[in-house]
Amino acid sequence: MAGSIPLIIEKYEPRDKGNLIQILQDVQRTEGYIPREAVEKISSHLWISKSEVFGVASFYSQFKFNPPGRHSIKICLGTACHVQGGDFLLNALKSVIDISPNETTEDGRFDLDRVACLGCCALAPVVMIDETIYSNMSVIKLKETLNQYE
Amino acid sequence: MTGNQKINNTATIDGQTVKVREGITILEAARKADIYIPTLCHLENLDSYGGCRLCVVTVKHMKGFPTACTTPLEPGMEVMTRTPELQKLRKEILEFTLSEHPFTCLVCKDKMECADFMHSTRKVSTITGCNFCTSNGDCELQDLVETLELTDIKFPISYRGIPPVKDNPFYDLDYNLCILCGRCVRICSEERNSHVLAFVERGNTTIVGTAFNESQKDAGCEFCGACVDVCPTGSISEKMGKWRGIPDRSVETSCVICPVACKMNINTSGGKIVNVGPAPGKRTNPPQLCLRGKFLPVELNHHPSRITTPLIKRDNKWVEISWKEAIAYTAGNLEKYRGTQFGIIASAQDTIEDNYTLQKFARKVMRSNNVDLHSSYAHKELLKHIHQFYSLHPPAGFLEIEKADTLLIIGSDASTSHPLLENRIRKAYNGGRRVIYAGAFPTRTSTFTTNRVLYTPGEETSFLFVLLSALVKKYGSGIPGTVSSQFKKPALQKAQEFAGISGSELEKALSILVKSRNLMIIAGDDLLRHSSPLDIFHCLVNIHFVKSRNHSCNILFPGYEGSLYGGVLSGVHPDYLPGFYSITDDRNIRKWNKNWQTRLSTTRGLSCNEMVNQIQEDGITSLLVMGDIPPHPDLANLKFLVQCNMFRTDLSEFADILLPVTDFLENEGHVLSLDGKLKKVNRAISGQGKSKSIPRVITSLAAVMQESGFSSKPADIFREIRSFIEIPYSNGKNVKSGFQPIRLKPQKKNAAYPIQVMLRHNHFKYRGNRLTDLVPGLHSITDEGVIGLSPSLMRQLKVKEGDQVRICTETGESLSISRPMPELADHSACLFSNGTDSIKLCGGIFPGTSMISARIEKA
Ligand code: SF4
Ligand code: SF4
Ligand code: SF4
Ligand code: FES
Ligand code: FES
Repeated sequence: MAGSIPLIIEKYEPRDKGNLIQILQDVQRTEGYIPREAVEKISSHLWISKSEVFGVASFYSQFKFNPPGRHSIKICLGTACHVQGGDFLLNALKSVIDISPNETTEDGRFDLDRVACLGCCALAPVVMIDETIYSNMSVIKLKETLNQYE
Repeated sequence: MTGNQKINNTATIDGQTVKVREGITILEAARKADIYIPTLCHLENLDSYGGCRLCVVTVKHMKGFPTACTTPLEPGMEVMTRTPELQKLRKEILEFTLSEHPFTCLVCKDKMECADFMHSTRKVSTITGCNFCTSNGDCELQDLVETLELTDIKFPISYRGIPPVKDNPFYDLDYNLCILCGRCVRICSEERNSHVLAFVERGNTTIVGTAFNESQKDAGCEFCGACVDVCPTGSISEKMGKWRGIPDRSVETSCVICPVACKMNINTSGGKIVNVGPAPGKRTNPPQLCLRGKFLPVELNHHPSRITTPLIKRDNKWVEISWKEAIAYTAGNLEKYRGTQFGIIASAQDTIEDNYTLQKFARKVMRSNNVDLHSSYAHKELLKHIHQFYSLHPPAGFLEIEKADTLLIIGSDASTSHPLLENRIRKAYNGGRRVIYAGAFPTRTSTFTTNRVLYTPGEETSFLFVLLSALVKKYGSGIPGTVSSQFKKPALQKAQEFAGISGSELEKALSILVKSRNLMIIAGDDLLRHSSPLDIFHCLVNIHFVKSRNHSCNILFPGYEGSLYGGVLSGVHPDYLPGFYSITDDRNIRKWNKNWQTRLSTTRGLSCNEMVNQIQEDGITSLLVMGDIPPHPDLANLKFLVQCNMFRTDLSEFADILLPVTDFLENEGHVLSLDGKLKKVNRAISGQGKSKSIPRVITSLAAVMQESGFSSKPADIFREIRSFIEIPYSNGKNVKSGFQPIRLKPQKKNAAYPIQVMLRHNHFKYRGNRLTDLVPGLHSITDEGVIGLSPSLMRQLKVKEGDQVRICTETGESLSISRPMPELADHSACLFSNGTDSIKLCGGIFPGTSMISARIEKA
């Protein structure tokens, strides 16, 4: 897969900053995220700094910088979930599977994102894994739930 | 009609009539008229940004609240800057800005008596940085809170909890104090073109940062410190001097480290340096500074291992003695070595006055012409040729660089050797100029160029021959046939082959050169420190000759370090008296005998490498060294060695006496900058301990040795120099000009040493002292003892990154750590010298050429 990054980038005119977003989108489409290597390659191809590339990329929520895990966890930290202890769930994830938001576990099993509201505040705190919503979560329940995913 | 125009050309600000100039903003006009408008993101010399909105004003017939820093002043405008409504709005904006910044220090009731209560943290309800901010007293937020009379902030304190970054060598980052004004991002990108910082993330997690939070160094930081200067808060703070308080004095001087000779302000408090940079109340230095100018003077001046008392070696131990004893002892010994067995090795990073005094001492008192700078050119006449060229065609001023339509940079990595020259090059590039880089390898400079031509290492002459032919072909008519016939096709083909250049990149570059109407050539030392530098020089002069017949053409020789040119001009050269008067001409000897009331020796002097190499045969028995030179083993055989320096170094091992001298912050005089201007060096603080200036040391020595005619006052010395020579240039009356014959010959190849190793000099040096030894922070950002190898060499030698390799030359061998450099031409290498390896590889204390032929093997 990684070999395709230079191919994607070289399709574009060198030194033309105007293509930055489009290149980023192309990379994200084929790789599923924007790897470090891509940022370096884009920077040298367009003759702009890595920081600039990353600054632009991180401005848009569509770009991710961690490879997708086999399962994705979305933890809600909207007002209701926050009040009901969403933060504890986040800390629990850190200690149980050593993951922080916008990261992927080393074994590639999970990736983790924070979201602002999943639209079911009455069931707070809420966690979504892949397409399934888990409501009224607790740290213990969360641990058990994680075990169901390989 | 005139009356009408007058009306058309004015506007009012707060009722005061102001002139409207093309492109002037409301803010600029207000400042000119001494009307204060609060600002936060605005920075003089940078494009307006309009981010903080503190500069809001009202304009009659204009809706809303335009920002003064971005709104152009137009004729007839009626601007108000201080209405109650505006003040309220600003207060709110400031309050909002501060909601993310620890603000207890700003609204603390006891802030006026802060110093007294500093340690009593119970005075405020929450501790969020109050007494941990180093900017206390130099913070624009504090000033704004004061002027806008903000007494409380209604938002809860929110502390972002971003871990501070302390691992950069010269400054610390605490983005919890950042108010996102964007000044650092803009100065780094727009002014420095380093592009290290960007706003990353979005919304309320936005911070200033780098890609993937990598270190600043990895993001390409050049540690120029511009961001430190502009930050209005304490989020970027200098490591050294940050607790030394608010400066009470500021002195403007010139940097002597490289030939750009930047203007700099030395800010001091109680006689100690706080920092180097903008004068108090200013946020930028103009011009900017580089790492060496910004951070190193402070480190060196207050360095813990600085010696401030004369030291004498007794039973192999250094013992402190008084100046009186030191001078008597030194003079007594020098007395024994008068004549050609004595020599002085001086430093290019001293003033013209210092170096004039040193060479006068060598010539008049010691009767020896052995006086040289330790970074002098191996080719003794080269600088005289440059001097004569400049006398006819004075170097273009610094500002001309951006005015040229085309820049041709040859053999220079200005990003490390002359950072502020590099800054101009980058600006020219950004301004849409053609910038052609030519060199044996790409450097950081070459990323700011429109065209890049890489020639075979060592084939500089052939490369220039190709350029010259293209120009001769274009402007052929009117050039003597003998000249143009030199550039027939076969010769050209040969030259291209030697230089290893062809194809579209070359064609493009040539056509740009031919078309250019205002060409600026920057000829670096990688080009001039060559085995046949005069051929190179003549090629350049010819290019200038041909080009300037039709268009404007300038050549700038940036030079190696400090005031090298100024040093030689003031007479530190084995063959030339001050003003490049040759000692082989009797008339000159007579003239200077009269000038100095003496009888000069007519024996030609030795260069620094020759002096060291002749120690073995007792040709040289005694030396005086200014600063430091690499500890060549032969120096052990000297009968008497005086070292004048600020530190004890490896050389001190061989020295008999160490005399502490002042540095340039404690000194006065002039240096000559690369654009041919005399720049004033001013004393910012008094000498540390008992350190003395060079003229004071020399005057006392001369007095004990019963010689007169020396002054310890820089002003007197400068007057004396001026009375004898034209400075910086002569009027060019007697200088030949025109087309110089050139020979095209490929460089000699030595089968035993087939690899071309290019020397990368470490420019972290002050008076020859290796600053990496003295300033630990530099280790993390410089390479030393490393050799970059081309991919083909890596394969051939079967080495991996980090393996040790042995480099062998005709004079010796040394070890280095290998590193792949994919951008190098086949079978070439780049040695990042550590200073001592080059002694072995080049056989002298300073390498004569920027390229050596070597054999490399796996160690
Ligand atoms: S020190 Fe200079 S190069 Fe580095 S981040 Fe600051 S402004 Fe940019
Ligand atoms: S670090 Fe300083 S200069 Fe940079 S954005 Fe923050 S407050 Fe402004
Ligand atoms: S560019 Fe040269 S003169 Fe300017 S601060 Fe740096 S070392 Fe000093
Ligand atoms: S806040 Fe979590 S679902 Fe709405
Ligand atoms: S100073 Fe005008 S918007 Fe910041």
